[in-house]
Amino acid sequence: MQLLWQILINGVLLGGLYALMALGLVLVWGVLNIVNLAHGALIMLGAYACYYLFTGFGWDPFAALPLAMILLFCLGYLIQRYVLNLVIRAPMFNTLLITFGLEVVITYLAQVTFSADFRTVNPSYAGANFVWLGATVPLVPLLAFGVALGLTLALWLFLDHTRIGRAIRATAQNLTAARLYGVNPRQLYALTFGIGAALAGAAGTLYGVVSQINPYIGSGLTAKSFAIAIIGGLEKSIYVLVGGLFLGIVEALTALYIGPTYTDVVSFGILVLVLIVRPTGLLGRTA
Amino acid sequence: MKVGLKLALAVVGIGVLATVPSWGSAVLVQFGINALILATLAQSWNIIGGYTGYPSFGNSVFYGLGGYGVAIAMVQFQLPFEVGLTIGVALAVIFAVLLGLPVLRLRGHYFAIATLGLAEVMTAIVSNLEIAGRNVGLILPLLKGDTPFFELALALLVVTTLTVAWISRSRFGFGLIAIRENEGAAAVMGVNTTLYKILAFALCSVFAAIAGGIHAYWITYLDPGSAFDVTLNVKMIIMAVFGGAGTIFGPVLGAFVLSGISEILAIKVTSLASIFFGLVIVAAIVFMPRGFADLVQRFRHLGWRYFQENIRTYRV
Amino acid sequence: MKSLSFLCAMVALLLPVPVFAAPIEFGASVQLTGQFANTGRYYGDAYRFAVDKINAAGGVKVGKNREKLSLKILDNQSDVNLSVRQYVQLVSQDKVNFLLGPFASDFALADSAISEKYSVPMIQGGGASDQIFSRGYKYIFGTLPPASDYFQSTLDLMGQLKPAPKTIALLYADDAFDVSVADGTRKAIGKASLKIAVDQRYSSKASDFNSILSLIKSQDVDAILVAGHETEILNFIRQAKTLNVNPKLYSFTVGVPSADFRAALGQDANYAFGMTSWVPSPAFKDDYFGNAEQFATEYQKRFGYEPDYHAASAVADVEAFVKAIESANTLDPAKVRDAIAKVDFDSLYGRIRFNAAGQISLPQTVVQIQKGKLAPIYGPKGLIEKPLYPMPAWGKR
Repeated sequence: MQLLWQILINGVLLGGLYALMALGLVLVWGVLNIVNLAHGALIMLGAYACYYLFTGFGWDPFAALPLAMILLFCLGYLIQRYVLNLVIRAPMFNTLLITFGLEVVITYLAQVTFSADFRTVNPSYAGANFVWLGATVPLVPLLAFGVALGLTLALWLFLDHTRIGRAIRATAQNLTAARLYGVNPRQLYALTFGIGAALAGAAGTLYGVVSQINPYIGSGLTAKSFAIAIIGGLEKSIYVLVGGLFLGIVEALTALYIGPTYTDVVSFGILVLVLIVRPTGLLGRTA
Repeated sequence: MKVGLKLALAVVGIGVLATVPSWGSAVLVQFGINALILATLAQSWNIIGGYTGYPSFGNSVFYGLGGYGVAIAMVQFQLPFEVGLTIGVALAVIFAVLLGLPVLRLRGHYFAIATLGLAEVMTAIVSNLEIAGRNVGLILPLLKGDTPFFELALALLVVTTLTVAWISRSRFGFGLIAIRENEGAAAVMGVNTTLYKILAFALCSVFAAIAGGIHAYWITYLDPGSAFDVTLNVKMIIMAVFGGAGTIFGPVLGAFVLSGISEILAIKVTSLASIFFGLVIVAAIVFMPRGFADLVQRFRHLGWRYFQENIRTYRV
Repeated sequence: MKSLSFLCAMVALLLPVPVFAAPIEFGASVQLTGQFANTGRYYGDAYRFAVDKINAAGGVKVGKNREKLSLKILDNQSDVNLSVRQYVQLVSQDKVNFLLGPFASDFALADSAISEKYSVPMIQGGGASDQIFSRGYKYIFGTLPPASDYFQSTLDLMGQLKPAPKTIALLYADDAFDVSVADGTRKAIGKASLKIAVDQRYSSKASDFNSILSLIKSQDVDAILVAGHETEILNFIRQAKTLNVNPKLYSFTVGVPSADFRAALGQDANYAFGMTSWVPSPAFKDDYFGNAEQFATEYQKRFGYEPDYHAASAVADVEAFVKAIESANTLDPAKVRDAIAKVDFDSLYGRIRFNAAGQISLPQTVVQIQKGKLAPIYGPKGLIEKPLYPMPAWGKR
């Protein structure tokens, strides 16, 4: 019983990190209809940003978080503005392919720039934990959970209650009408993708503290983020919390009761099942 | 070019290719086998992705099932290669039909993601199967000599391309194209969309599985990672799109050109090969998203403005 | 038409071209980029280092002449299929005389099929899995000791510790090497009359060990043995800290002897046990490098990072070839192959000698990270330095 409780705690905290990872992907997918296969690579860059700020300048990861987000925002803005904007009105399939190409390029450049050595971000409190109701709760994943919650809420507020946010949603729904209202879609799209990249950067920052960084972590993270995004549902960014938590808990339980080699079977199996049975996600309204 | 001339050229081309193992270097033969297999994969994807308009990211499953069919038959049961191939194809077709039914109801990117998910699931499932050697994989018996593999791969590509050519002229093919252009209208017009889609999916599974079986026997080693290689999906799609999805020779052309350049880079400049691949994809999607075939056709009228036109059509 | 001319140009490029090769050419396909580049680079650098040193000493004596060595290294981008194709290219187009192997058992497994197919000897220092040597192949040799024996010296050490660990958790990744390690270790644990409390196989790409760690914590486990890759072991240790899992001892098949692994973990690396088939000790004398300690110093100076057993193993491969060529006095592949099977000499890597299946037999020295430095603890002759045991709990360090 004790063990089960610990496993559930593990699953919830893992879910928080998962939600954070998938948040940027959900924004860009749900709003811009861009399926970003380079999402994991952006997370990886965020992790490196945090690493260099930490080891080079001694910045605490949570202090480095905003700066990493800004750096990734700029990168995302540029990518959308000068590359993705060129193909955005093509069949959606094309953006899938082009982001795959970008992923390959980014990964290669990362390897050349940062080398293949493993990096970790190891602040003094990296291993801190406390005991709650008999389970050991690691501190950093808990904080990551908090960050995920905060960012999801901030995103929701931004999209629903600010002028720019509403402009983004309007443009996504009806490009022509938005243009008539004076919206500059090129900038808007770039802005949105930039925010998505910034969110990926936030996830990367924390990822480096709980796991380890190398140029190749990208594709695995992208695949996971996909599963989370679909399972939760793309309609509202807040659904990603549900997707993340669900997957985190399911994976933790699978590892214990079925076997650690079966977590991928279960995660992607659920992804396929959700797509077949309820494509709008666990929470989405059935179309 | 007249049809008769085209046909004659094709036959001569195949004849010449068939003789390559007798005069080509071992490296050329090896490159040839690889390119032929990739071309078959691109061509088989063409059926479901190019003609039917359902971009499948899961053809690697058929490829892997073909490979494992051969590997398990030969290693665990000491059956001959042909039997293994048959088993592999059978597995692939069953998979295509059983999982095609639910998954082909999805549209656009949902279909793509679902097939991608299936590819990941199969990798994970097979790496847990004892009979498949789990994640350690299986080692196949060694067949010295590359010629039989080359001829087999060539024959496979020819058959696949002939099938696609037949599709492009048959009622079945017109039905698929109708589904691609407007599925609702096609259904209303009396096309049995479910049946057609499943058939297309099953057809491409056959060719992909045989390709996988040949590759496994040739490399003599199979593990879930290389059998169900997810990047293979993207590669075959890029090659088909680059060459021209929905055309007869497009995927073959795309496969040969891209793998040729990639192989030369891998030999001469090794490390740059991977970034090259990424840059080609980006450039191809931006400048020639409709493929080489379209490029050749419209370049005559538009010249260099062709590229600009593409960007203008698709950018915001 | 354009496509046709392009095709012709490509064909012309790939047709056999006469190459002026140096007298004795070695070929290797190594992971210089891609996810295994981190360890692959040891092989690329060490092969080059060895070839340069041997040439500086005058080369290899064949017949009446002394011939220089030359080396062609291709980057397989950590892709097994590409690696196989590159070995075919090295043998048939570049016409190298002999092959040096890649890193990792699954690569060695696939690539050795080529050396067998073309009957060109390959000595590899990167694959230890039993499968590589159980196919009856004649042209593959390996300088990494058998995977199944990896934990033997650790278990021997455990028998001498007080209080002796009684219950063991055995964790292993599901790839060729680690499964071999686990199979062998299970038998050895049985022989040592110890109890296996947890026996878990996990996916090679796993990054989350929280469930396994929670399971271990809930059982009464004295020692944890992990057979996996550096990436996983790094995550494992960090997660053991955050979940406050405190065994008396834990030991890992890789990572511990490598400097960047220790650097990545910082203080958290302390107390971890590992094993290495090689230590840079002056006791290992070498014809070309003086001794292992000198080799390590020069390597560090030239390449900017410390060598570990991967590098030493790679050097041993080159030296084994040289000794075999000189003994056979010819470059004929079949005769050199027979000579390799008979070599027996001392090098900076230890005593080089292959068994009937082609694998070397070297004892693993147990090492431990103590205060950030690697300390040899237990070798074939017994205890070397005092181990820090039992491991203090995370909160008490």
